Amino acid sequence: MNETDNNNFDDELMAAAAELATEVTPDRDLWPGIEQALPHPGRPARTVWNSTWAQAAAVLLLVGGSSGVTYLAITEDLSPLPPIAGGPTLVFEPVSGSFGSMYNLGPDYQDARRSLAATVDEELGRLTAEERNEVQKNIDVIRAAIEEINKALAAEPDNALLQKLLLSTYRDELGLMMRVDKITSAAMRRGDI
Amino acid sequence: MKTFALALLGIFTATTVVATEINESMDAAADGTVSISNISGSVEVQGWSRNQVEITGNLGSGVEQLIFERDGDEIEIKVKTRRGNSRDTKSDLVVKVPLASSLEVNTVSADIDVAELTGEQSLESVSGDIATQAFGSDIDINSVSGDLEVEGDDQAMRSMLSSVSGDIDTENLAGEIRVESVSGDLVVVNGVFDRVSMDTVNGDIVFHAQLLNDGRLDVETVNGSVDIEFAGEVSARFDIETFNGDIRNCFGPKAVRVSEYGPGYELKFTEGSGSGRVTIETLNGDLRLCK
Repeated sequence: MNETDNNNFDDELMAAAAELATEVTPDRDLWPGIEQALPHPGRPARTVWNSTWAQAAAVLLLVGGSSGVTYLAITEDLSPLPPIAGGPTLVFEPVSGSFGSMYNLGPDYQDARRSLAATVDEELGRLTAEERNEVQKNIDVIRAAIEEINKALAAEPDNALLQKLLLSTYRDELGLMMRVDKITSAAMRRGDI
Repeated sequence: MKTFALALLGIFTATTVVATEINESMDAAADGTVSISNISGSVEVQGWSRNQVEITGNLGSGVEQLIFERDGDEIEIKVKTRRGNSRDTKSDLVVKVPLASSLEVNTVSADIDVAELTGEQSLESVSGDIATQAFGSDIDINSVSGDLEVEGDDQAMRSMLSSVSGDIDTENLAGEIRVESVSGDLVVVNGVFDRVSMDTVNGDIVFHAQLLNDGRLDVETVNGSVDIEFAGEVSARFDIETFNGDIRNCFGPKAVRVSEYGPGYELKFTEGSGSGRVTIETLNGDLRLCK
């Protein structure tokens, strides 16, 4: 995936996630930093393969510069939730891990992710157990990949390829939730399911 | 009285298990939008030369109503089920639409099959398979677990294809393409491209097509294997990295080890004038690069 394409995807991801966050009317402002990066009406339309600089900004928003203390405070109350087997909704496990030796996932990212996961949970609760299991299975695939990359990063914390793959895989997780939410909510807007 | 009640119940039961055949049509704009929504069963869409939309097929006994409405240039077709009814909702629709129509189809488990339509397409299904033909107009196709198959006619267009676990296969598309999945395999065969992006976590990636001069091919996977085979000449700078995979390069240059302590290989070289760019990144996936 190239940088400019990544940039566009990140923007799309953030824009769509922001809409979701608005739709569920969160108790508080979940991610003001990301909001600043969202496209607004009146701004010129962006092309699919655009600038590297916005990509860098999106990455910064994703990664954030959160301190280890903040990170621990956020993840403290996010103990793993039970899998969906037998349950009516799908739950997503908390994010853990860091980017190389320099960055942690920022609180804005964590908030956005939790908000998105909650919305997706709602949508998935109306699908069949088989369909939910399929999504959970792929969430697990992504989590396993993140774990594997993190292990490799532990040995080589400054490996640029590993850092990039880790960021990209976190983005894949958000992308998966976005896609699932988009498809299922479109189906569920029918109002008769 | 009891006998009469039982007879009524028998009639009611009989009517609830029988699917209803449908055959309806209405006038339509030559290049309007047709939106179709169906939960389960199938949706088959065919372009035709008439400025009419026609629906045939059958509705499941759990279906409350077939909505078939026109609002300006937009036509909506919706199989509406009784709220909360998850039984007998399977409906099979065959819809003929003006061939330049823009098409939007949304299903839960129903398969989607589109043919001979030249307008833009937006197709989505949770678990249904999707198969379509594309004739130069943009397509945006998404599924969760359903497989995607797209056949083009080599006209430049923009293709956005994604799944979670479904496989994605394309043939003879051209222009820009973005294909992504978590565990599904991605296959792009034939066609001529100036922008290609293929991204998976565990799925394998195959690209056997032509990359134009100044074109870009970006491939990324964590655990999937990558098989690239260029059709025709390719002119590009290659930038390939893998942490733990093997690299087989038919272009000649060998990969070099970049990590002193762990695995990790990098392959950088230029083919032709180097006007385009190819980047490939994997964690564990093996890589084959040929022409």
